[in-house]
Amino acid sequence: MVLQFKDAEKQYSDNVIFPSFNLLVAAGDITALHTNVNIRQQLMDLLLGTSTLSNGEITFEEKSLSAKTAGIGFFFLESGYYERLSVIETLRFHHNLHNSSQSVDDVLQSVQLLSKRSVKAGKLNHSERKRLQLACLLLQNPDFYVLEEPDQNLDHESKRILFSVLHGLREQNKGILVLTGNMESAVTLGTDVFRLDDKGLHRVETADEEPEASEEPAIHTEEEAPLQPESLQPVRFEKIPTKVNEKIVLFDPPEIDYIESSEGQSFLHIKGEAFPSYFTLTELEDRLLPFGFFRCHRSYIVNLQKVREVITWTKNSYSLVLDDAAKSKIPLSKTKMVSLKEMLGLK
Amino acid sequence: MNVSIKRMSAIFQKDLKDFSRNLAVSVVIFLPLFIAAIYSRMGVDSLASHYMIFNMTFALTATYVQCCLIAEEKEKNTLRGLMLSPASTADILGGKSLLSFVLTMLIIFFSAVLAEYQPANIAIVALALVLSSFFYIAVGTLLGLWAKSVMESSVIVLPVLGIFSFGSFAVPLAEQYPILKVLVYFPNHQLFEIATKVELGTAIGSMWSHFAIILLWTLVAVALTVIVYRKQTKD
Repeated sequence: MVLQFKDAEKQYSDNVIFPSFNLLVAAGDITALHTNVNIRQQLMDLLLGTSTLSNGEITFEEKSLSAKTAGIGFFFLESGYYERLSVIETLRFHHNLHNSSQSVDDVLQSVQLLSKRSVKAGKLNHSERKRLQLACLLLQNPDFYVLEEPDQNLDHESKRILFSVLHGLREQNKGILVLTGNMESAVTLGTDVFRLDDKGLHRVETADEEPEASEEPAIHTEEEAPLQPESLQPVRFEKIPTKVNEKIVLFDPPEIDYIESSEGQSFLHIKGEAFPSYFTLTELEDRLLPFGFFRCHRSYIVNLQKVREVITWTKNSYSLVLDDAAKSKIPLSKTKMVSLKEMLGLK
Repeated sequence: MNVSIKRMSAIFQKDLKDFSRNLAVSVVIFLPLFIAAIYSRMGVDSLASHYMIFNMTFALTATYVQCCLIAEEKEKNTLRGLMLSPASTADILGGKSLLSFVLTMLIIFFSAVLAEYQPANIAIVALALVLSSFFYIAVGTLLGLWAKSVMESSVIVLPVLGIFSFGSFAVPLAEQYPILKVLVYFPNHQLFEIATKVELGTAIGSMWSHFAIILLWTLVAVALTVIVYRKQTKD
């Protein structure tokens, strides 16, 4: 169960939608691909076989891809449902349609819709309907899952259910590809996270320990020089500069909600707006540590004063919910969870 | 093309439940029964009136209901799910047609009972009716695949209703307007010819041409439906 993109490239009337890239999604992996809407739709069309690549190929189990026979299950962002059929009737229908070996009751249990079993699909709310959709997909029981924005607009409970279902599938050695435009959900859902844009495919580092060591010395040597004159400054000046067009805008550390690193550039998020910063995340982390900032993830620094909630999706994935207007969610990695607990005095 | 009875019956059961809860469409099937009952009470029992009711049943239950069922699957985006399932084209189109076929046969039977129509040779008439129903269901599927929404489907079905259920009335005018001679070759008129010959006790050998014409219409409609469906699968 290996889905592979080989030198896959797509152009549309002189526009490069995505340049050539190689990606291998193996069984037992949850690969999250962070893309914009255009690329996501293009990829879905390619996987469904309704569109073709400009160059390269997509193979599934070493064979050229054809969606109907390949045993790929799709979790569409916009999916239809029979509004006049109840939950259990919908599931029985899919059970028979797919000659499923899964039991309807087990699936109903795993998406936690048991209490809604005789409610008509049209009367469910959006999150419950997505869970019903997930249940239908589980009955189909494909070897490979392609999920399109699986956690968009889901309530917390459904999101947690989705996470645990996906981790269950992973343990059954199924291959999973998540396509999403939301970095937070890509990072929390995926075991391997990539970003695909018109510049190509980039790996988003999620592992906390190893790569840091290799990068650290390089950063430090650059840092050494500017650090010395700074220490000569008589007044200690604690504002964080950002660039806005050609101007330099200064922010007080407590104003900052969180800092995100994307494509090697760090962005300060303040009241829902992002400002590119002059510094790398590591430099910012050093400067902001005294103000109660915390490196919660390889690509994120969060202002702990703004954190309202810590959500546990599964044993290994967590998110922080901020107290800002948008209730932003920030991924929290497993190792950082331990140090956060220590900082909070929990054991 | 492999046909799976289990999948077809799954689709049939799903449609039956869905249809029985969808009053906007299901109420239509009572119209032919209602007219049949009124006609027989009024003492109208010519062969032409019986077949007007039958042709209306075909247009309303076979074509209209089928058209709405397919258009709803399309509009609600559930047809894609069916197309991506392991069910073959024959499973899906067969399963989706089963409900309208069963309904059409039931309504024809009950309206024949209500209108007190007793054909001289039930077997031949039944065969002609079943063959005609295939044609009307295929037309319904075709229109359903064409229509973009349920709303649109109930509009584009109107010409079918007009031509095939009331078209026979225009046949006597063919003397005056030669173009109307085409109507003689329409399946509804051919069905009526068969019924007339059955009542006259004509030998079955002279009816083959009528059956062949209906069969030809059916094959063309089925072929077109499959082509349009395959095209839809691709986008």
